[in-house]
Amino acid sequence: MSDAEIIMSIQGVTKKFPMGDGRFLTACDDITLNVRKGEFVAIVGESGCGKTTLMKSVMNIQAPTSGKIFYRGQDITQLTGEAKRQNCRNIQMVFQNPSAAFNPKLKVKEIICEPLLNFNLVKKSEMAVKAGELLEMVDLPREFAERYPNNMSGGQRQRVAIARALALEPEIIVCDEATSALDVSVQDTIIKLLCRLQKEKGVTFMFICHDLALVSLFAHRVTVMYLGNIMEKLDGDKLQEAVHPYTQALLRSVFPVHGDKRAVQCLEGNIPNPADMPTGCPFQTRCTYCQDKCRSEKPVLQQVGDNHYAACHFPRQAQG
Amino acid sequence: MLVEVKNLDISYTDTPEPLVKNVSLSLDKGEVLTIVGESGSGKTTVIRAILGVLSGTGYISNGSIHFAGQDLTHLSNQEWLKLRGKNISMIFQDCGNMLNPVQTIGHQYIEYIQTHADKSKEEAKAMALEVLTRMNLPDPENIMNSYIFELSGGMRQRVGIAMAITFHPQLLLADEPTSALDVTTQAQIVKELSNIVKQSGTAMIMVTHNIGVAAYMSDKIMVMSQGQVRDYGPAEQVINHPTDDYTRHLLSSVPELGGERYV
Repeated sequence: MSDAEIIMSIQGVTKKFPMGDGRFLTACDDITLNVRKGEFVAIVGESGCGKTTLMKSVMNIQAPTSGKIFYRGQDITQLTGEAKRQNCRNIQMVFQNPSAAFNPKLKVKEIICEPLLNFNLVKKSEMAVKAGELLEMVDLPREFAERYPNNMSGGQRQRVAIARALALEPEIIVCDEATSALDVSVQDTIIKLLCRLQKEKGVTFMFICHDLALVSLFAHRVTVMYLGNIMEKLDGDKLQEAVHPYTQALLRSVFPVHGDKRAVQCLEGNIPNPADMPTGCPFQTRCTYCQDKCRSEKPVLQQVGDNHYAACHFPRQAQG
Repeated sequence: MLVEVKNLDISYTDTPEPLVKNVSLSLDKGEVLTIVGESGSGKTTVIRAILGVLSGTGYISNGSIHFAGQDLTHLSNQEWLKLRGKNISMIFQDCGNMLNPVQTIGHQYIEYIQTHADKSKEEAKAMALEVLTRMNLPDPENIMNSYIFELSGGMRQRVGIAMAITFHPQLLLADEPTSALDVTTQAQIVKELSNIVKQSGTAMIMVTHNIGVAAYMSDKIMVMSQGQVRDYGPAEQVINHPTDDYTRHLLSSVPELGGERYV
């Protein structure tokens, strides 16, 4: 999969928010990431790590302070007017909370076909047919086109959200915690649906999540972020070989259903104030292996293996 | 037995059929029972019934709930007040919603302690600080002077747990205590919670949809779906030898590290 064409290239994206007292909060710090066609790219991290800010830049909702985002050779952060609107056809989004993502007064067919109407791709008279096709694609019965979103369960609503994202046949779909609000069994079916769509339609997914166990099931590439910085980039099937202490800590925070309960370990220490970051490694306050060098010098991403990068002065082999 | 629930049915006045049917469970001192299931399976309704705070028009239409020899289904409001918050207390999903946002945490905490114990303001404050320290909260004095929205999700949850364990209740009810948290914070809170339960000998009934957490903490697990009990027994047995198809389906949906990949 690694030889597939790069369709999106995020280069040195930095986003700073003014704090009101003259200081700046750095939500994303020099993020560089390539997205290849047909891949599942997962971005993992705790709340406040800047993953949603990064996605907002990718969606062109929020311009980054500096840095470029290339989609098929074109810097989308510089687009304006009609060109910016046309770009929306290529990148679509699925939101975390499916009950807040729809206008409650629109029927499902109107919700799904709204993007198509915006680009004059469907006539009003054909809406019901087109909505039916899209609903079938996400395993929902055609009759749902006439329903309202509040008459549906959370899982069904998330399917409608996916159908809406698929309507324009985009090349990239961004999922922001798309399954976090759902039950495990529903989450499982939604993930299987996304995998099927990825195989059948070759859609590229950027998947934001905080659950490493979930990501390990389907992601081709995993990017781990912490306080606006990329900590580690690696292949999804090699998560167990993570070398960064933060990724290892995330892996150890997962409660296994079967297996050894004693393996669960907690991170000690507190997250530093993102407006007042310490010099050196952002993870130093919670890292068990922190040394003097980590407090003075900020580690940069270095290649530690095949397709595997980590920002750590003392990368460790995974224990056990 | 500390808690004994027998053939419990819970109905709402506007629906003829009971929403929760025939739930029986028993819990000894110091035991942890986890109720798992999807949303809408009635798991929260069961623990709300035990605390006597069914929402809306809900009522217990059949069965009995015994707590320390007392039948909870026929208590007067006065009797409930003595029990709730002292012998039985509850941890909510987001403790930020439980507290008043325009009063400091300390103000409400002291009021809570003084409601249940004959203590002066200073004594109550000292008690509150001691419990907050026990919950690994940094700078408890500062927390007492803060408002709930000034704290992070993990800290809020710790404050909620601290308040719930202040009087060493015999029974702790927890409604999805870690669902709103990050994985790393969740791991911390779950560990702290299980230590507290072990140390103080408190019995706990926890509702969660995280089966990993359930497997980690519980002595017993109950699986619910559509208001009915699908599986109930020692944690080991439910996880490793589920008797019901629904339980098997639920267990197979849990993402695990090193599990089968979909792509």
